[in-house]
Amino acid sequence: MAQPRLTSLSRLFARVGVTVFGGGDPTIAILQREFYQREWLSPEKFAIAFGLARLTPGTNVLAFCAAAGWYIRGLPGALAAVLAITIPASVLVVWLTRAYDLTTRYPLALSIANALVAAAVGTMVGAAVLLVRSQLKRGRWIRPIVISTGAFLLAYVIKLSPLQVISVAAVAGFFWPES
Amino acid sequence: MNLVVLYLLLVKATLTSFSGLASLPMVRNDFVIHRHVLTDRQLNTAVAAGRIGPGPLGIYVVSVGYLAGGVPGACAGWLAMITPAFLIIPMLRFLGARAEHPRARAVARAVLFAGAGLMASAAAPLARDAITGPLSLAIVLASFILIAITRVDSLWVMLGAAVIGVLAFQF
Repeated sequence: MAQPRLTSLSRLFARVGVTVFGGGDPTIAILQREFYQREWLSPEKFAIAFGLARLTPGTNVLAFCAAAGWYIRGLPGALAAVLAITIPASVLVVWLTRAYDLTTRYPLALSIANALVAAAVGTMVGAAVLLVRSQLKRGRWIRPIVISTGAFLLAYVIKLSPLQVISVAAVAGFFWPES
Repeated sequence: MNLVVLYLLLVKATLTSFSGLASLPMVRNDFVIHRHVLTDRQLNTAVAAGRIGPGPLGIYVVSVGYLAGGVPGACAGWLAMITPAFLIIPMLRFLGARAEHPRARAVARAVLFAGAGLMASAAAPLARDAITGPLSLAIVLASFILIAITRVDSLWVMLGAAVIGVLAFQF
């Protein structure tokens, strides 16, 4: 795996932090795409960082960034990743808090916000597909498809909380080893 | 509001939740009901600002901090948001070589696949709000294809959507 400079690492996290909409999940999926293209993080370490982040209190995506940064560049990497992904986005959210009334008063702002939400939905679904596809090995697709579809049904139809769904998946993963 | 108290209240809320908006009931309880620092309308503004902007949904605590204590309050909110993230490092250290065990990797990958299912389930209700006509449906499909199939940077996907939003308003 390549070991990037801290500036390159910070630049990537800052860029993703201010350009990916729709919450933490699409952010993680976009980061995954970037890591694989740059060969910064193996699929195995990505899966561990993702799984543990789900079990860490607070905002999961930030725990994921700390873990990914830690794997890539140790403690400085973890700090750089979390600071870079949160500082520019936090400045933006303060600005948006001040400007929020504009979106309700100006139709142009509303039109842009609606288009961004639509793009965020497409990004989220695309990111979900990417997340599964990148871990698929040739001929071993039943386990990923069953677990991801099962998780979707547990969350969307049965309305289990994300933590409950993750717990069920962890138990399933333990008793259904990879062939 | 005292910045240390603001930080402690927000970090209590983030530490006791496991996803972005799960801290909202505790924040409302502390800031709106008990201490009357914010109104429900202000809290809604904070959540909306967090949702319409980029980044994690949990970023709304920065907005809560800003509304409760100005820019220093936003810094306290930011610190409260990032503090729990570093708990993962001792967990990774503890896991160490154990993480390479095939059973541990199988569990991690199962959690990752479940994450994809959760992501799709989170997108479903958002899609109901987002798809209001043929144009928004086209934006959803185009962004899906660009992210899932091509290597186009997500920055361009979002910028393209914003331009379409401007054009849709003009015409």
